[in-house]
Amino acid sequence: MSRHPLKGTHALAGVGLSRFGKVWGTSCLGFTLEACKNAIEDCGIPRDEIDGCLVSMPAIMGEQHGWATRIAAHLGLEPRLACTMDMGGATPIGMIQTAALYIEAGMANAVICCFGMQNNPQGIMPQLFGSQFAIPYGDIGAITFMGHVARRQMHLYGYTGPQYGEIASAFREHASRNPSAQKREPFTVEDHQRSPYIVEPLRLLDCCLVTDGGGAVIVTSLERARDLKQPAVVIAGAGQEHGAEMIFPAPQRNQAPSGAGAARAAFGMAGVLPHDVDVALLYDGFTPLVMHELEAFGFAKHGEVGPWVATGALRLGGELPTNTHGGLLSEGHLFGVGHITEGMRQIRRSAGERQVQDAEVVFVTGFGGAPHEAPPTLSYTTLVLTQDR
Amino acid sequence: MFTIDKPLPSPTEDTEGYWDATREGKLVVSTCASCAHRFLPPAKICPKCLSSEVSFQPVSGRGRVFSWIVVHRPQHPAFLEDAPYNVVIVELDEGPRMHGRLVPETDLSAVSVGLPVEVTYQKINDQITLPMFKAATGT
Repeated sequence: MSRHPLKGTHALAGVGLSRFGKVWGTSCLGFTLEACKNAIEDCGIPRDEIDGCLVSMPAIMGEQHGWATRIAAHLGLEPRLACTMDMGGATPIGMIQTAALYIEAGMANAVICCFGMQNNPQGIMPQLFGSQFAIPYGDIGAITFMGHVARRQMHLYGYTGPQYGEIASAFREHASRNPSAQKREPFTVEDHQRSPYIVEPLRLLDCCLVTDGGGAVIVTSLERARDLKQPAVVIAGAGQEHGAEMIFPAPQRNQAPSGAGAARAAFGMAGVLPHDVDVALLYDGFTPLVMHELEAFGFAKHGEVGPWVATGALRLGGELPTNTHGGLLSEGHLFGVGHITEGMRQIRRSAGERQVQDAEVVFVTGFGGAPHEAPPTLSYTTLVLTQDR
Repeated sequence: MFTIDKPLPSPTEDTEGYWDATREGKLVVSTCASCAHRFLPPAKICPKCLSSEVSFQPVSGRGRVFSWIVVHRPQHPAFLEDAPYNVVIVELDEGPRMHGRLVPETDLSAVSVGLPVEVTYQKINDQITLPMFKAATGT
């Protein structure tokens, strides 16, 4: 088989997060710029070398079109390429893949990929989003959708509340080792079971946090990245899949779990298998999404994810250390850039108390789209990251 | 007093036929004359064969609960007064799935995936009537 042209030719050179959590005094724009500045400083790339700017659409914050070009202007850049991208929480990895394609095609040399999100002060009513066939019943937002996903999993596979609780508890234990995590107080599966229902069968501790903040990643060729300040984090594999299958099967699709193709593509390109993964960083808006991903991406057999998770498989020291930073559930909702950042830390050996020894293969995922629509549209993006050898 | 109205459907050119039907106490789904595919939400082009020969055709209004949730903390303030309230996804006997709600007198402890249900209607105003569901009677 011929080598994939993108395999191992590009790298994540720099990364930056803004302050995050419940942060007052700055805006979506401010968080974005703060993260970009940190990413530029992280790798020491001369600013005028950045000639591509990709920014995630801050859809619920009322920003207008032309957002990426405005971010570039605020950063003092005049890039050759700028584009606002919109795949919800799948966007950050999608931007990285797009950046690699731009660079491979000779249309850019270094691309900054960034996002910002402001939910605080509360009381700003996010623009109402959703379908005219769902909203009138009070089925609004990702949370009701994920409630339906959990209900289907429980019905089809017999997954139990404590199995979902184990996912949340494991990630919180990891967050207790992450000094910048929004929530660090460990809790047990029993604590999870005592937390109130938000959208039954989902409990409070099945749901991710609400976070203000921003993040940025700088992508460049592996060759260029080698001359920068930090060890290059190599993009070994990448994939995407878009669909609507979890609730409303599209008629032309087969019955494989949605998202499976995104992982197959990334693993195939990298030449690895799920069991080669040393650290998994799975987009975890809600615990049932993690259950879904573990099956769809090939880490556990059909219908067997719940019991497998309950063995402690996702914990540090377990079979598949997952979301070692705490994820959206405990580190904070950094739109998946927190996951990418943690992947880079694990590869750079800078993950501190939660470093997975000798981590060679890191698998990172994004998930988003419009799950609150009818039909819910789903986007999966994946990356395999490795060390530079 | 300051109140927040519940969001209501804003019919579009693609969907008004559906809402026109519910106003008359009928449930319709988009139906393709070319490949016989029936689907929701409505669209003017068939997602299965891309034919434009799509029209609204009545269905039985019978189906089974595909999923159900109980919302305790609504994401929209207008629904606070309803909470806790249920939302169901019903798989119609004819195939398409749709959101709905089981009528308030439903005993939720008796609800499970697969429960047979039938449509009923709740008039909201002169324009909008929402399909709702209740446990099916008879066989």
